[in-house]
Amino acid sequence: MMNTIWIIARKEGAQMLRSQRGMIWLLTFSGLLSAFSLLLVSNTELSLLDNAQVVYMMAGTVMAAGALLAAILGSDAYAGEKERGTLVPLLCAPIAPNTLLAGKILGLLTAWGVMFAVATPYLWAVGASGQNLGAALFYLALFGTPVALGFGYLAVALSARTGSVLASLLGTVTLLMLAASPLVIGPGLRGTAVGRILDAINPFAGALNTFDSVIIDSDPFSAQTSRLILVTVWLVLCLLAARRSAARPDFQ
Amino acid sequence: MINIENLRLTIEGKEILKGIDMHLRPGDTYGLLGPNGAGKSTTIFALLGLRAFESGRIGVLGGNPANDAVSIRRSVGVMPEKAGFYDWMTAPDYLKWYGRLYDFVPTEKVVAKMLEKVGLGTEAHRLVGTYSRGMKQRLAVARALISRPKLLILDEPTNGLDPKGRREIHDLLVEFASDGKAGVLLCTHLLDDVDRLCNRIGIIDNGRTRLEGSLGDLLAEQGGGQRYRLRLETDPDTTNLPAGVAIAGHEGGWWCVQVQAAPSEGPSSLWGELWRRGWKIMEIRSEASSLEELYMRYTGQDRPHAREAVL
Repeated sequence: MMNTIWIIARKEGAQMLRSQRGMIWLLTFSGLLSAFSLLLVSNTELSLLDNAQVVYMMAGTVMAAGALLAAILGSDAYAGEKERGTLVPLLCAPIAPNTLLAGKILGLLTAWGVMFAVATPYLWAVGASGQNLGAALFYLALFGTPVALGFGYLAVALSARTGSVLASLLGTVTLLMLAASPLVIGPGLRGTAVGRILDAINPFAGALNTFDSVIIDSDPFSAQTSRLILVTVWLVLCLLAARRSAARPDFQ
Repeated sequence: MINIENLRLTIEGKEILKGIDMHLRPGDTYGLLGPNGAGKSTTIFALLGLRAFESGRIGVLGGNPANDAVSIRRSVGVMPEKAGFYDWMTAPDYLKWYGRLYDFVPTEKVVAKMLEKVGLGTEAHRLVGTYSRGMKQRLAVARALISRPKLLILDEPTNGLDPKGRREIHDLLVEFASDGKAGVLLCTHLLDDVDRLCNRIGIIDNGRTRLEGSLGDLLAEQGGGQRYRLRLETDPDTTNLPAGVAIAGHEGGWWCVQVQAAPSEGPSSLWGELWRRGWKIMEIRSEASSLEELYMRYTGQDRPHAREAVL
């Protein structure tokens, strides 16, 4: 079983890295981070932002881009294969539904890993002069991974259920935009009861609040427990949804 | 190898299969015929465990796809109707990758031999994305065969192929089935493929099996053979016909003859014989084959089991 998962994951990874689309994504991501880094470093030089603030913003950007990539890849996982006619041959092979899903998920994890690796030098470039670079990398891995992968799993669930890349992408990106909307995570709404409820259930806001807490305020790990539970629950729920849909994907 | 009894299956509240029977034994090449939407592909997906069924019984290679789908699929090579591939891979890379899903690691030599067999030997270095439809169809056949299956399921395998390609695929299937232990299930609209390859057929229509049995027996039962229309210069002597030839009709200058069994040398010797008997043949046209007549008779009408399965 592990062998089959690995065979599928390798294909997923190679598809991302060797296809034109994957290369365009990585180049776009690098370009975005370059421009953002330049902007943030300039702001630091002009003393408009302090170093911790810059690292915090960079970590949030990487997580958002990771979630977007996971949504794109997740949407393609079943529906893209269906649209290209490659899903039926996969389903006809001796692969259990959970094994296929695990292979796809490992592929998503690989993509996030590549993004994380690409983002690390940029984070280092903007945060090397401060004290919180290590914390930023650690918490980006700990909180950013479940948030980004959760959106990926959700996209996988919609992709397998609807059999349409467009429907899956639209659904997941809409939710991501809502979760990451300045209206939702901005200070205005946070002051209200509704804002506080949204903050408590929004995994994206939970991860951002943790970045804020550890990078800017240098709070300890123990202060992040409730948010860690939030992002873990988010990941588990999305995984269950993906598992349920992948058991009977729309392939015909 | 496949035993399906009264299979019923519903998708999203719509009953797609309403009573499918199918019996495929080792050594059989079984032609599954039916119009578009008859339920052929759904039947295939049900026997691979990809569609849950409401009632009936399915046995594939001694297992039940509802419980043993993965182990059944390990011994089945499938060529689905839509031949999709990863365009960024080469054919050898793809076949090696796909073979590994079956816990079978094909060597370079095995892959090269397989590609040679399906006529892609010289094109192996190219990315699959640059292949024509016919080439992808050949690669799909190679994909179905690469894991050395006991049962081969092919959905429209010769679609999009030129006559030479069709003949090559036919030869491959004959070679595959020649050991008498493997089975082939062939879904096709091309009756010529069935005529050439299959020893048993099943005709399904509107989710029901209309007819099933040995092709030879079924053709013999309905008065088999081939029908021709001949345009003659003068009216012939119909009292002096060669054995196995019967007059089936006459309209204007055209005479319709039923040839029960063409001579081993081919029909041309029969035309020579008729000519010697005074038939001044000016033009010959082949009519629909008996299989086509059989197909037409059992499809396109919604009636309950027209015939019980002939085992």
